Amino acid sequence: MNVVEVDELEVAVGGRRLLGGISFALPAGSVTALVGESGSGKTTAGLALLGEHPPGAEVTGRVVVDGHPVTADSSAPRGRIGYVPQHPSTALNPARRVGSVLREIARHHTTAGSRGERKALARNRIDEALRQARLSERPDLLHRYPHQLSGGQQQRVVLAQALLGRPRVVVADEPTTGQDAVTRAQLVAELRALAAEGIAVLLLTHDLDVVRGLADRLLVLRAGRVLESGPAREVLSAPRHEHTRMLVESQPDSRTPAESEVDTEVRPLLAVRELTAGHRSGGRAVETLHPASFEIRPGERVAVVGRSGGGKTTLARCLAGLHPRRGGEVLLRDEPLAPRLRRRDRAQLAEVQYVFQDARASFDEHVPVLDQVARTAERLRGAGRAQAREQAEHRLERVGLDRASTARRPAALSGGELQRAALVRALLARPGLLICDEITSGLDAVTQAEILALLRELPAETGCALLFIAHDLGVVADLAERVLIVADGHLVEQGATAQVLRAPRHPATAELVEAAANQVAPA
Amino acid sequence: MKRFLIPGALVAVPVLLAAFGPLFATGGTGKDVAFSSGPGHPFGTDFVGRDVWTQVLLGGGSVVFVAVAATACTYLVAVPLGLVAGMTRHRLVDEALLRPLDVLLAIPSMLLLLLLAAAAPSSRWVLIAVVTVINLPDVVRISRAGALSSAASPAVEAMRLQGESPARIGIGYVARRMLRTLAADLGTRFTGAIYLVASASFLGVGVAPQAADWAAMIDRNRTGLFLQPWAVVLPALLIVALSVGVNLTFDRLLRKRKSEVPT
Repeated sequence: MNVVEVDELEVAVGGRRLLGGISFALPAGSVTALVGESGSGKTTAGLALLGEHPPGAEVTGRVVVDGHPVTADSSAPRGRIGYVPQHPSTALNPARRVGSVLREIARHHTTAGSRGERKALARNRIDEALRQARLSERPDLLHRYPHQLSGGQQQRVVLAQALLGRPRVVVADEPTTGQDAVTRAQLVAELRALAAEGIAVLLLTHDLDVVRGLADRLLVLRAGRVLESGPAREVLSAPRHEHTRMLVESQPDSRTPAESEVDTEVRPLLAVRELTAGHRSGGRAVETLHPASFEIRPGERVAVVGRSGGGKTTLARCLAGLHPRRGGEVLLRDEPLAPRLRRRDRAQLAEVQYVFQDARASFDEHVPVLDQVARTAERLRGAGRAQAREQAEHRLERVGLDRASTARRPAALSGGELQRAALVRALLARPGLLICDEITSGLDAVTQAEILALLRELPAETGCALLFIAHDLGVVADLAERVLIVADGHLVEQGATAQVLRAPRHPATAELVEAAANQVAPA
Repeated sequence: MKRFLIPGALVAVPVLLAAFGPLFATGGTGKDVAFSSGPGHPFGTDFVGRDVWTQVLLGGGSVVFVAVAATACTYLVAVPLGLVAGMTRHRLVDEALLRPLDVLLAIPSMLLLLLLAAAAPSSRWVLIAVVTVINLPDVVRISRAGALSSAASPAVEAMRLQGESPARIGIGYVARRMLRTLAADLGTRFTGAIYLVASASFLGVGVAPQAADWAAMIDRNRTGLFLQPWAVVLPALLIVALSVGVNLTFDRLLRKRKSEVPT
């Protein structure tokens, strides 16, 4: 039985078509995935089920949810459809405890009977929703504020809120973006359990791993049109359309780790001994990184993997000189490396370069991108102004950014383009070690694949080593020769990628690997 | 340009009067009957029988000049201080810069104004210095807060990794990002300076009792408000026009800049 039917839905804003006549149906108890790059119209389609449209949109076509036609003026009866937005933190009221919000929503859904009966009914509803969202084993969470919950827990709370209305349909918008592998695996299990209870789930995502593990049916969207649709397994294993094939191929796969080719006899580029770091919290010193020792050899590609909040970024920032270390020492080509940037000389600055997670925030919004990129060569490699510009232009063109776009300010470039420019900015220093902090998270699969390809090529050309932080094991296995596993501030395991991923020795590693494997090959 | 018409006019009238008024003050300085309105006196006479229009033409300079100079001095001193305090990674420097200013902040501004002006010789420059000192702590705090948020941004870290000097980062990026905040502050700060200068003149601080001064005019002539209102209303209107005009100008300016920035 189809709970949702969408027929020739067209949405246009100011003459620009966001959706060009798409049709699909959501059967009860199954998971349907809408897949596409950012801007392909996934969210527009998902929100249309709620009767929400972008301001000034012209909508034609028919949307029926649970037998009720949905238009801009009349949505489906309250509670029939649940929506889980992309960033759960923005959907929760930061000033109210989780439990009291749940109770308020539950009261809205229980209108019949006396006061006492309503109260009991509301309590039943909450219990049921918590069980479905897999929160029932943690009743203490209800007394907390949203900021005291992890990203995965926040998402489950938002899901529980949606489930209070006993919805027939749940729309999940990019639920896995920015979540680590373990949280993602839990989410997949939750959504599968929902479908098992007869709820139709619409999954909007660009994460094909999740689609593989979860979806029964798949629609591939591009520029507001359906390119391909069918059973998820079929579409993914034998994509007919070229764009689908590109999406599938650009997805990093954790099942085929890159093999190590590095000679272990070489003098290490960077030796880290007993590095510790922390930060001050309310006058108290908190240790976020416990003694960590490792080495990076020239030209080696090393991944730092772990759950979010585990201390990966602190580790990388310590090496880059952006975070003061508390103890231990770092040797760069056998010379001690100062903990603070301002104590490092030009040559040392150039040797260790860092690429930030948020490319846009790492550029000055007032200055053309090209000028900012060229400054590296000018300051660190003593090039003249014209010479530096020439080098920068040349390099930027190599990564597919022409003069016309780089001569503009950062606002005119996309996130992926800026990330490429940021890579060039770091590589112009001709570093011995390039540190990349989750530089592909937040980018869609195709853009991510482009950046990963660059990461593979560029350092190889220049012979620089790569230390990159990731929480996506697919990316890691694709790129890294060696991995460092960080959990709760401890460096718990290190070794060749293939070895660590095939035979994890530490429980934290095992958990990560298992979570990733569950997504790739569903049970 | 059309939206700057009204605020522009509001600012231009008092500023032009203050700047070029003295050149046109050709009316005799001879005295007539106090608070009279007769031929030869378009706006009547004041409390000692001087021509009000001549007094208005002569008296703008002190208020406008002192307010502009004091506001400019405030920003010239405060922004670099705030920038240094916000960007330094030595807590001691930050504290050493801000704590003395916090003490100033705790003293009511009018008290400070009266105290300093009474202790120091009565001159225009003293008044400028006093108003600057009163406004200093606020502006230092605002620019420090602006610098703090920018100084911790990835963009600044990226520049440090590029080997940029702190001066270039500070002036080229951090200060530039503060501009919007400071421009918003400037409008109200200037109004505040006018208020302080006018209060000082009204209380007779910094100006001679007989001197032509808009604020002093309001005070001296208020006894004859119902006999000859122009002697109070005209200078009051000019001061109000200036402060409202400056505020509106900056409001419009900010709104324009906001719409220019693509999101």
